[in-house]
Amino acid sequence: MIERRELLRRAAWILGGTISAPAALAILQGCSAKKSPGVEVLYLPKFMTDGSMFEVVSEIAEIMLPKTDTSGAKDAGVPIFIDTALDAIYDPESQQRFRAGYADFEASARSAGRKPFLEQEPAARAAFVKTSLETALAGDREPKPFILVTRELVLLGYFTSKPGITENMTYEAVPTAYHGCVPVAQMKTPAYWE
Amino acid sequence: METNSFDAIVVGSGMSGGWAAKELTEKGLKTLVLERGRMVKHGDYPTATKDPWDLPFGNRITQDIRHRKPIQTRTGYPTPANEHWFVDDIEHPYVEDEHKFDWLRGYHVGGRSLMWARQSYRFGPLDFEANAKEGVGVPWPVTYDEIAPWYDKVEIFAGISGSKDGLYQLPDGHYLPPHDLNCVEQDFKKTLAAKMDRKLIIGRCANLTAPLTHDESPQRGTCQARNMCIRGCPYGGYFSSVSATLPSAERTGNMTLLPDQIAYELIYDEKKGRATGVRVIDAGTRQQTDYFAKLVFLCASAMGSAYIMLNSKSGRFPNGFGNDSGELGHNIMDHNKPGSSNASVEGYLDMAYTGRWPNGFYIPRYRNVGKDKRDYLRGFGYQGRAQRAGWSRFNDSALVGDELKKALKEAGPWSLGMTAFGEILPNHDNRMWLDPEKKDKFGLPLLVVNASVRENERKMEKDMLGDAAEMLEAAGYKNVVVKSDSYNVGNSIHESGTARMGNDPKKSVLNKFNQVHACKNVFVTDGSFMPSFGCQNPSLTYMAFTARAVDHAVSESKKGNL
Repeated sequence: MIERRELLRRAAWILGGTISAPAALAILQGCSAKKSPGVEVLYLPKFMTDGSMFEVVSEIAEIMLPKTDTSGAKDAGVPIFIDTALDAIYDPESQQRFRAGYADFEASARSAGRKPFLEQEPAARAAFVKTSLETALAGDREPKPFILVTRELVLLGYFTSKPGITENMTYEAVPTAYHGCVPVAQMKTPAYWE
Repeated sequence: METNSFDAIVVGSGMSGGWAAKELTEKGLKTLVLERGRMVKHGDYPTATKDPWDLPFGNRITQDIRHRKPIQTRTGYPTPANEHWFVDDIEHPYVEDEHKFDWLRGYHVGGRSLMWARQSYRFGPLDFEANAKEGVGVPWPVTYDEIAPWYDKVEIFAGISGSKDGLYQLPDGHYLPPHDLNCVEQDFKKTLAAKMDRKLIIGRCANLTAPLTHDESPQRGTCQARNMCIRGCPYGGYFSSVSATLPSAERTGNMTLLPDQIAYELIYDEKKGRATGVRVIDAGTRQQTDYFAKLVFLCASAMGSAYIMLNSKSGRFPNGFGNDSGELGHNIMDHNKPGSSNASVEGYLDMAYTGRWPNGFYIPRYRNVGKDKRDYLRGFGYQGRAQRAGWSRFNDSALVGDELKKALKEAGPWSLGMTAFGEILPNHDNRMWLDPEKKDKFGLPLLVVNASVRENERKMEKDMLGDAAEMLEAAGYKNVVVKSDSYNVGNSIHESGTARMGNDPKKSVLNKFNQVHACKNVFVTDGSFMPSFGCQNPSLTYMAFTARAVDHAVSESKKGNL
């Protein structure tokens, strides 16, 4: 039996890469696929094709930047951003390192939680991400460990997305003038997009 | 032949070519402007109004850009937002000899005037007198007083913002209101003045902080503080030849602007002892055409103009056009940039800034000025800025979830960074020539470059980096980091000196009016002409000398002397 995800990926591929969940479901009439919570868009990954890499990185992104009063990483399109950025920006060596780093992450998550990362409870996943970050920050950061590369891409993707920028800080497309000394108290928000 | 004849030909449409075109056409000369790259008209800025989320890959340099533009990316510039202004290095190769040479190029109408950093400083008496006093290179044939009125003229037309600071080493000019220094920069300024007797001033930049004081550029409006200048400004908020000089030339009705025309040779008439025109190959059709004129202005950049001259051999000029001195292609200079510095600044957390400024602060040269004497010649200036950290401060942090999102809504701490740009002395061995065998896709010989920094620059580097640390520490800033970087000549994108001017035709290529000593109807007014290079950004000086050269050319022409 073809897996649900593979079917959806094929459907997405036929339609040119990215399709909305309802459209995909309509195409797959009769299929018992369920839309997973928080995933609005089904997508055929370009780079993150190993195992559950796309899903795992999506979860890591959402753990780092969850939906609160502002959009979370998934709503802001961060997983797709990361996938395309890994494909376009990184050289083959860094790409290979990312793949190896992902495999290590998956393996150590499994040995810590006795289950694949995606099957663990949300609290356990979040704790594992936090621990991974702390371990990476305490260790050798050259070359950058997988979890920190992921984090950099999560932040870059989020803060170059419209919801990420406009919901968390003041963004002025045309500021009209520069004012060098402004009390923070007089600003719309303390964070200002530069 | 009739249709190919003009009063004047300008080769190149960038910073200098735009000025030559404006001045020549305004004086009534029918002028042909030849540009080797594609057409760009004011407003043709495809990415200028894109929001961050409209740009792919977070506007980071892609592998594709790195593969096609391996030299252009050495600066970190060509990103998805602006890469269309930077040449494809594979398509437009040159040869690096012993040392790497970073040749940043924009092959399109407007050239690098579209992507320049807009810092606009006068050279002062200190700069114009240095070679003569120190016996370096050749003496400048022009004094500060002679060029000062031309600085006035180009500053007023271009619109330069800045403050008058009364510094001997950095003469004041005509300025639109200065940008603000932010709170931390003001703090740093006070410290430097009080503890070290050094000046920090606002950058003098070609961004309109107020309307122009003339009505010659109705297409230009004030700077909107978007800081996206490098993409081209639909508001005309900064000076480029596309936004300012070429529209003026166009309005005279005297300009013919031809893009995609690669000028590669000057046509020389041995009997008349004059250049009669320029030989051109069409970048698309590869068709060759000769264009004729009484006056030729080479404004194709320091490497580009010297290339054309080296490639123009005749019985009279067997070693390249006007090259009796043997200096053509030699004495390449740039600004040395051996590293950068940064520090954390505590406090000022209740203060920030709004708008995105296209500017920074400037610490003018203080070494070997007045009583200061070092074990090297000349000096350097710093460009920098203070800012509050943004989201990237959390790249290396373990904060996640709600905590991270809350923290991201606050402004980060302040830091202050600056980079020194140092004068490079002219040296005969820093040079370019034409490869005797290798050719490009147009069948034209490849340019070869070999240039490096030498003893004087190396000595100066110690101060350039050491003084930065000293100043940041004097201000009480924390985590002072001075990073030394490898620097290739060209990386400051100020390459120059390949056809220097001087009074002695045996030692220089051009005379004091940018006129080829040995062929009076050819003028070279881009960075080629510089006999020394100061530590200031050079574009304003090219503009001033270009305007002056045109004035001389046209008045001599009227007198029948050309």
